[in-house]
Amino acid sequence: MLDAFSRTVVSADAKGAPIGSEDLADLRKYVADANKRIDATLAITQNVSCIAADAVAGMVCENTGLTQPGGHCYPTRRMAACLRDGEIILRYVSYALLAGDPSVLEDRCLNGLKETYLALGVPTSNAIRAVEIMKIATVAIMTETNTGRKMFKGINSGSGAQCQDIAAEAATYFDLVIEALS
Amino acid sequence: MKSAVTTVVSAADAAGRFPSMSDFESVKGSFDRAKARLEAAEKLASCLDNFTNLAVDAVYQNGTYEQANKDKCVRDIHHYLRLINYCLVTGGTGPLDEWGISGMREIIRIQLLPTAAYIEAFMFIRDEIKINDVMSQQAETEFKGLLDYLINALA
Repeated sequence: MLDAFSRTVVSADAKGAPIGSEDLADLRKYVADANKRIDATLAITQNVSCIAADAVAGMVCENTGLTQPGGHCYPTRRMAACLRDGEIILRYVSYALLAGDPSVLEDRCLNGLKETYLALGVPTSNAIRAVEIMKIATVAIMTETNTGRKMFKGINSGSGAQCQDIAAEAATYFDLVIEALS
Repeated sequence: MKSAVTTVVSAADAAGRFPSMSDFESVKGSFDRAKARLEAAEKLASCLDNFTNLAVDAVYQNGTYEQANKDKCVRDIHHYLRLINYCLVTGGTGPLDEWGISGMREIIRIQLLPTAAYIEAFMFIRDEIKINDVMSQQAETEFKGLLDYLINALA
């Protein structure tokens, strides 16, 4: 597993060069943005069940056959598995966001996920839709652009508007999930 | 690779839980030292060649060691200083441990190079070179800590 720092080290080592001023600029930004990053990660961890439940509910609403007998979310045991997987994906996205690098998400969550779903007969198109909704919800919560109650605590940095960059970064991690399932 | 952040994430993942407040605190704690570390890494990168040459010249000038080994010594000292530069960036000893220390003593020995020369060179960098001229006090402390770690590992 890598983070923003060790990622820089691994790529510098491939070139056999020491890490100089240019490469350090990005890392200094990572350190300077630590508070925002923590707030953004908190926006996920404090709203996990809400994000996952909304995404799965949204997926079912768009395709009501899923919860009917014979559908992929029938009976409730399979619906529960769906919610659980949503939370697992959010957990790995939160790790990647904290580390500033997608390697943990790729190695420990996405590697073989599509094959597993195919083997279990999970329709990946529906799974992708649920991830898309999670992405939209997460970005909205992080940037405080969600409708309804305030879900962003901002204990360190204050406002969600300052988390735009980090929210964009989080969106790229969800895109990786979608890519892996496509 | 081990660093402040990956250690926290690994532990959280092993327990299957989301990163907690105490995880965030420990990540933030490691960032408090980051400024000095990154400065040390930056300055070291700019005088890496200089430090290497000064140290190797000092060690090889009095004829204790075979001059034929000098080039190899320069190459290796340069390599080690680069790994220290990486350690300063990650904030842990991961790069030195994984790429520099495990197996390195055996390799130095099999090439019939004197480990003592390496240790002397690193001690020269630690004690004789005025590191303070190029970097701040805290950065120097971070750098010297890793030099000590390496010297102990080679000794």
